[in-house]
Amino acid sequence: MSDQGIKSRPRYHPIAPDPQGRHHLLVVDGPDVPVEALAEGVTPSAFEVWTVARKSAVPASPAMDEQAGAVRVFRAVPHLFSALEERLARETMGLRLYAAGTEPFLWDAYGIGARAGLSPQEMAFAHVGTQARRIFCVHCRTVMEGVTTSITTCAGCGAPLFVRDHFSRRLAAFMAVQIDAEVPGEVPQAEELYS
Amino acid sequence: MTVQFKPAETFRDTFTYRKSPEDILRFPFPFPEDEYMYSVNIEPHVRGGPTAAFQAAFDIDEHYIAECRERERVLKEDPKRCQVLPHMMAAEWDSLELIMESLAQDYPEHFSLTKAGDLWTWVNRPLNIHQSFTFGKAETLPCGPFEYITRQAQGDFTLQDQRDDNLFVDGGMVTTQADWSLEFDIGMSFHEWHGPVPLAHEKGVFDRALKYLLRLQCGQPVRRLNWTMTVNPRLDTSPENYPVWGPDKASVTPDNVAEKVHLRVELQTLYRLPRSNAILFGIRCYLTSVADIARVPKWRRRLHRVLRDLHPDIAAYKGLPRFRQTVLDYLAPLDDGEPTSKGIAPDTDVLAG
Repeated sequence: MSDQGIKSRPRYHPIAPDPQGRHHLLVVDGPDVPVEALAEGVTPSAFEVWTVARKSAVPASPAMDEQAGAVRVFRAVPHLFSALEERLARETMGLRLYAAGTEPFLWDAYGIGARAGLSPQEMAFAHVGTQARRIFCVHCRTVMEGVTTSITTCAGCGAPLFVRDHFSRRLAAFMAVQIDAEVPGEVPQAEELYS
Repeated sequence: MTVQFKPAETFRDTFTYRKSPEDILRFPFPFPEDEYMYSVNIEPHVRGGPTAAFQAAFDIDEHYIAECRERERVLKEDPKRCQVLPHMMAAEWDSLELIMESLAQDYPEHFSLTKAGDLWTWVNRPLNIHQSFTFGKAETLPCGPFEYITRQAQGDFTLQDQRDDNLFVDGGMVTTQADWSLEFDIGMSFHEWHGPVPLAHEKGVFDRALKYLLRLQCGQPVRRLNWTMTVNPRLDTSPENYPVWGPDKASVTPDNVAEKVHLRVELQTLYRLPRSNAILFGIRCYLTSVADIARVPKWRRRLHRVLRDLHPDIAAYKGLPRFRQTVLDYLAPLDDGEPTSKGIAPDTDVLAG
């Protein structure tokens, strides 16, 4: 049940700097670069690294050290993404964007990169941390974060939803479909699958 | 023969959709053999074929007006059933040109297109439309060119952009679909949007189909048939509305099975478009009840055998398990065990019963 074998589900690989790239920007969904996000022999110093402290008392860091080895700390993920949009808007050819973190973080970063004109080949992602899913209710379009069970109740329309493996990179979310639509009330026990 | 349109028939609530005898015999029955498995069943889309449904580039039948009205209703309820990503504008005009020229050529009694340079005039008599516009200028049409023309055609359409040796579903008009969501799938690559289909990935079907389609040539369209089964003649079996139509599936009984359960066939056509190099994918949906299929001896024998021996993963993916046995119980006594001829043609001009 946890892997329904559906092929839209992304696969991830540890990150190594693309030799074709001129500059390598790594955004991380946490305070440090997780070791398991990097390929063997690769160190964080190969990248300009942006991290998230999840703390308000972080001085706004200046956008001057745009070079490998520099580390810039943000207060929260939206804080980082807002700077990323601004940064990509003024970048030129040769930048490579890497992201390490939870799945919604990776595909939100992908969306920002794509809207700034980066091609999929100019981005790479490593999934680390929780397997919890962002889901999209296909009936009412409510997005829910941090879903860890095979079945959950939609916060928008109240439907008991089955979480499919069908994944949209554009929505950065898995599809969720009402499980008892044919016979209302026929809802199997939810399983804890994505923690 | 001039087709008699039935503008008032419905595909929801009252379900007044019915087929004339001619309409039953022109059905593109989807099984060329007594058993079914996924394959790359693609052939050239040339006019003429085993039934009358293959006589035009874009087939128009007696349900044309009613289906256009149903589409209009779905779009009023959910405008996002038609979406095209902004970079596909050239493909939108390509589609409008192809569909208008094809309809005017195949059905001159219903449609006409006249051109004076870029100033085009389109006449659609069944829908009572007379529209002059400037080709290439979207502001001269009441809506985007892709939406404009697909509101006047039967069946769903998607637009595939070709880049990075792949196809991306970057637009569509999707109101008569077999349970897939444009809102969820838009922007996906070929293997992503086919992700949920069982068995076929392992058989290499999608790898081969993609390779084939990447080489599709302008002016040489291709087609294939796909199928599922739908309870009631409902066109909009979208995932969005699954809570609305899902209960239908549990409503099949031995008494109503023949009228309620429909074989749903998609005549899928693929066209390379000249300016954009995109692919227009037509997904033309035909619904025929089990009772109507049973009026053609070859088809009732074959449908019985295909359903009886269907791989359980395919049956599950197509959503059949809840009523498959009831359909089999109805069809089994109608299958006399006689051999069937190859191909999908009905092998008769008259209906039984």
